[in-house]
Amino acid sequence: MSRAGTLYIEKNSPIHKIDGSIKFILLLVWTACVFLFNDFRVFLGFFIFGLALLKIAKIPFKSIKPLFIFIVMFTIMNSIFLIVVTPNYGSTLTQTTTSLITIKGITLSLETVWFAITLSMKYLAVFPIMMLFIFTTHPSKFASSLNKIGVSYKVAYAINIALRYIPDVRDEFKNIMNAQAARGVAFRKEDANIITRLKNYNTILFPLVLSSLNRVEIISNAMDLRGFGNKNKRTWYSGQKYGPIDFITSVLMVVLLGVAIYLKIYVLKGFWYPFK
Amino acid sequence: MNKTYTDEDGFRYYVKKTELFSTKSVVAIGIGAALYSVLSGVAIPVGPNTSFRIAVALLTIFGAIFGPVVGFFVGFVGHALNDMIMWGSVWFSWVFLSAVIGLFGGMITLDKSFSLETGHVTKKHIFKMYLYAILGMIFAGLAAYVGDVYFYGEPAQKVWIQIALATATNFVVTATLGIPIILGIAARKRKYSNLKIED
Repeated sequence: MSRAGTLYIEKNSPIHKIDGSIKFILLLVWTACVFLFNDFRVFLGFFIFGLALLKIAKIPFKSIKPLFIFIVMFTIMNSIFLIVVTPNYGSTLTQTTTSLITIKGITLSLETVWFAITLSMKYLAVFPIMMLFIFTTHPSKFASSLNKIGVSYKVAYAINIALRYIPDVRDEFKNIMNAQAARGVAFRKEDANIITRLKNYNTILFPLVLSSLNRVEIISNAMDLRGFGNKNKRTWYSGQKYGPIDFITSVLMVVLLGVAIYLKIYVLKGFWYPFK
Repeated sequence: MNKTYTDEDGFRYYVKKTELFSTKSVVAIGIGAALYSVLSGVAIPVGPNTSFRIAVALLTIFGAIFGPVVGFFVGFVGHALNDMIMWGSVWFSWVFLSAVIGLFGGMITLDKSFSLETGHVTKKHIFKMYLYAILGMIFAGLAAYVGDVYFYGEPAQKVWIQIALATATNFVVTATLGIPIILGIAARKRKYSNLKIED
């Protein structure tokens, strides 16, 4: 992770050349398409296609690995919890019950296990495009591209400020924590029990909030002096013009959305269950 | 920013524009979101994919200082950015949970007599803040429920358990950290603004 706290990796690939705003819309369209369905095959298709795009973007697997492990752990936890709480949920979707095990009168059905797998695949299907967006979009270009697709530049600027100040605020957090630890306030596992440690975070939060309020004051004064917010529009230093690759991507995106809606209405309507 | 108009008498007046985002609120959203993102690092898991985060207290604090719009966007931008940077995937229904908590945290500023700037916070205001916190938790839970069940397609029963856990921990954080810090800020401000006329 770079100092700015973002995961952007500089590479020369066609994906990097696509404008940030187009990639953002692609992310939204992709997510919407995935969430239309409840079908394992579709999710698998999206997932493989996404991995291929990641390959084109020359993102090394090494940098995706920790996030990938996290999402896999997350879906496993989610699935286990889902199966424990609603062992019979899948059957309500398929109207059939194939019993796997019965413990104390509660039946775990094969349908529920399949539903958990489908749901996990759904989250995995969104994963590659998210990676693609995060690893190939420069953060400051992201703010300007948000503005380009109609988000108010003030919101875009707020996001820019957030990205810019995450490292500063993190340093400040560490400084205050070290200062309090030097005074004998316990933050580590060995020093105190969990409740005391949580209470001790109070001693960080208050100074941190106060110093942040000062920071807000200083930055907003500086921006006011430079006339921020005076006009309804503004230009961006890192703004780009749309190129041919952006148009191609947009067309493909519209096709993707059209195909997805067609499939949803006429072919793959509901929950797909292969073991009937 | 100011806009000006000239009166019939030839006097020029400066009027503060009423706008959704003043410069200060833009900066407050940015810094608040950065803070939220940093503090999200302090999390203790309490249930499956649910954790105890002191960052939630910030939403109420920034809401009470800068108003509901800033509260909403601090929650939205902060949660979404943090999800993106830390986990690589944004869970939108829970992003809205944070945003709604921030929105309701800011409802107290609609009360005209409430003024953090001069430290004027009465018992009635404190009671109202707790009430808004509870209301906020309820609506935030509803937002997350609707998103999870209808958008993400999770079973309702499972989502209820997660939301109940999250709401309970969020309320504890808001009640024990968020609101006391607001009162602390008010007490600090009061120190510099309690001038009285001597008899």
